[in-house]
Amino acid sequence: MSLTQPGPGSSTLVTVFESARAELEAESLRGAGGRTALERYADRVDAMLRQLFAEVAPADLHVAVMALGGYGRRHLCLQSDIDLLILFGGRIGTDEERFVRRFLHPLWDLGVVVGHQVRELDDFNRLETDNPEFLLALIDARPVAGARALFDGFSAKFHTPATHAYILKALLELIDQRHAAFNDTLYQLEPDVKDAPGGLRDLTATRTIALLTDPLLLRRGPADPARFDQAEDFLLRVRSTLHLDAGRNQNILSHEMQERTADLLGYPGAEPRQRVERLMSDYFRHARIVSRALAWARKTAPIPVGPNLGLSRDGIRFLDPIAAARNPTSWIGAFQAAIDNGCEVAEETLSCIQQHVDRFRADDFFPEERDRAALLGLLKPRQGLYARLSEMHDCGLLGRVFPEFQAISWRVVRDFYHKYTVDEHTLLTIRNLERIAHTDEPLRLRFRNVIESIARPELLVLALLLHDVGKWRDDDHASESERMAREVLDRLHMTGEAREMVLFLIRHHLRMSLVAFRRDTEDPEIVKDFSAFIGTEERLKMLCLMTLADVEAVSPGTLTPWKEELLWRLYVDTYNHLTQRYGDDLIERNQAGLDELLRQRPDDLSSEEITRFLEGLPQRYLQLFQPDAIYRHVRLARNIHPDEVHLSLECSDGIWTLVVATLDKPFLFSNICGVLASFGMDIIRGHALTNPNGLVLDVFSFIDEERFLTLNPDAHAQVLHVLEDVVSGRADVTTLLRGREQGVLRASSRFAPVVRADNEASGRYTILDIVASNALGLLYRISRVISRHGCDVDLVLIATEGEKAIDVFHITKGGSKLTEAEQQGLTSDLLRTLEGLQ
Amino acid sequence: MKLIKCIIRPNKVDEVKDALARLNIAGMTVTEVRGHGKQKGHTAIYRGKEYNVSLLPKMEVEVVVPDNLTDDVVKAVVQAARTGEIGDGRVFVLPVLESYRIRTGEKES
Repeated sequence: MSLTQPGPGSSTLVTVFESARAELEAESLRGAGGRTALERYADRVDAMLRQLFAEVAPADLHVAVMALGGYGRRHLCLQSDIDLLILFGGRIGTDEERFVRRFLHPLWDLGVVVGHQVRELDDFNRLETDNPEFLLALIDARPVAGARALFDGFSAKFHTPATHAYILKALLELIDQRHAAFNDTLYQLEPDVKDAPGGLRDLTATRTIALLTDPLLLRRGPADPARFDQAEDFLLRVRSTLHLDAGRNQNILSHEMQERTADLLGYPGAEPRQRVERLMSDYFRHARIVSRALAWARKTAPIPVGPNLGLSRDGIRFLDPIAAARNPTSWIGAFQAAIDNGCEVAEETLSCIQQHVDRFRADDFFPEERDRAALLGLLKPRQGLYARLSEMHDCGLLGRVFPEFQAISWRVVRDFYHKYTVDEHTLLTIRNLERIAHTDEPLRLRFRNVIESIARPELLVLALLLHDVGKWRDDDHASESERMAREVLDRLHMTGEAREMVLFLIRHHLRMSLVAFRRDTEDPEIVKDFSAFIGTEERLKMLCLMTLADVEAVSPGTLTPWKEELLWRLYVDTYNHLTQRYGDDLIERNQAGLDELLRQRPDDLSSEEITRFLEGLPQRYLQLFQPDAIYRHVRLARNIHPDEVHLSLECSDGIWTLVVATLDKPFLFSNICGVLASFGMDIIRGHALTNPNGLVLDVFSFIDEERFLTLNPDAHAQVLHVLEDVVSGRADVTTLLRGREQGVLRASSRFAPVVRADNEASGRYTILDIVASNALGLLYRISRVISRHGCDVDLVLIATEGEKAIDVFHITKGGSKLTEAEQQGLTSDLLRTLEGLQ
Repeated sequence: MKLIKCIIRPNKVDEVKDALARLNIAGMTVTEVRGHGKQKGHTAIYRGKEYNVSLLPKMEVEVVVPDNLTDDVVKAVVQAARTGEIGDGRVFVLPVLESYRIRTGEKES
């Protein structure tokens, strides 16, 4: 088809279009180019486009034509652009391009100014943030021709809370910019009826704000909605006269045009000046109504903050309370949004929940995995958590989500210490934790640091929430709380380590205060026993914070600085015991606790095999790993020969875990760390264990920041292959790292590294405590220095807290602890290496 | 009358209380205190960094007893609070000039 020739059927198009324009011109000339006339004109244009579409669109083409902006709102003025979106269901190819030409060319030939955008439906999978005007025009999108399903598909993708929030923000910025161009006043002698403050754009913006936030907003506004509509009709009638006279998209009501418009709109008066004054006083009156409505909407409109949730002046509200009442899974989101935005949940919303909450059972609030994750997410100890949980409790939601908690509502337990009902005591423990998490008090910063080092503090909050639910009974509340907590965890589908952690904390929530305040913690045996009981640093951290928060919630005076000090000292001593002395306590053949592990073993493992594997590993190993992991380790360590390495690599929640079983040799640990660094892997946690027979079991958790393992299909095999080569001596790790040396092994540091050697803590090992800025390859560098000094790396604990790497090495040289001189040589060498990294 | 002031380990309070009860001494004041004697605290190390524990948590138990019971009370406290390690604490005996019961205003002898 020629680009200049009119397309098929264009002669009738001309007739349709010309007669539609003639009609609007006639109306405008009568001063009646208001809303009704413009809507009729838009309808006529719709009909014309549909006719054209029917003529040029192949039947099998998946396409829709949509009206945007003013045309979408059916306020199409005489000289306005006809804004269209041509939307294709699939990829745009030759057929699609041909359709676009065949559809647009006849319109251009008619002299229609078309503002067209062409998109594929999938383009709306992500928000186009570089063109806010286009996004605003899409708000008014209306299907004109083509596949209705495509329009629905677009609506589903486009109308999301996130998009709405973005558009609202962009709209408010555009309004400010536009008003600034008019010196922020509507009282212009020659106003632009479209762009000036109080003009048509402000009117549309007001409606858009309501649409995006609260559709009923304008009904509650300062002006009668009818007056708002009258203002609109007036402004449109004026604009129609301007378009009629100028013959182009001209919107300035100039002095010259004021006389003409006043005449066309039929203002009485003997003199032109009188007619103009009447017109202009009407203009300012209407513009003021628009302006005030916009100001009010900006001030009052809730900001969309989630599905069906808005942030208004009185807090988080359901935008559509009727829909919310039917959908209890959305309620938790209201409280989360309040925490995120540092505000309350509005009274109206709480009443809505209170009114409907009794219709639902616990499961109704979190039927899906993401709902359960959202509930746990809510429990992170952020500012406002206590206040939100209290609101949930007051409106009856907390007791529905956790019926177990309802059992202690207003429960009074008479003793000499407690000052509050059990439910309030419980919520106060959470408030205390929240306060510690944000404290700046010098003496409490140490506890704040502990909170910040916990991987999943929400588990601690869940444990606090449930720790006293067993107090509905009068005796032995801890075990009753644990029993009830199991039911909660079942409903939450919580399994594995997380479940064990919560139950452990609840069952033993009184234990640490007993030891700290009632036992002689200067006695190393007491600390040793407590360490054996607690097992891991993570449990210790959680139980310490739980104790602090719990004691403080008993009454205002219960937690004295004196008690805090006792608790902190037990924490430090136990922490040191766990990280520095565990190498002295090895698993023996008749170790307590082994029976259970042996009894539940899978068929392919014999008792003998498991015992042989475990014997001589630190006892701590049994507490660090769940039985399933231990069985996997036993299998991995089967039939290992010198120079062989058995590996497993798995990913869960974005964290990769590498397990290495092999026989010990010099530089082994450093070589493995070096290989991981050479692939850009950032090691965040780990344990290196050795048994007396030379079996090495290393478990590394690392983050694959460059997504090497995810993006490359054979990366998994490649990493394992290189590890085998390096461990067996077929490849050299320094060569692998050469390319990375420059960029990788450098970190920006905000604190000086600490290296400390200690021969006292452990009976067998010299303990090296290293705290330094985390960096890719850090462990490789450290362990290489250690190996170069001829030391054996027997046990390693690897931890990371934010930017900080905390590594504890248990080392020996020739089977003995290092001498004073050897320690000094090693630590100064290590410090040099670490300082060189900065 | 004597005021007997005992600075003891926190975990020894119950044992001291029991020992005093066996001597029929009912009234006492117990206070959480911090301090150091010869022990002068010690240096704890947490994550490679030293932090000083110069003032140790202790308990202070105060009782006022007739002169003739003083020796028995001191002996009982020492026996109950003793572990044999550094940091077991101290017992001070002070003379009490006069004592009044607030409720009645009456002077005790």
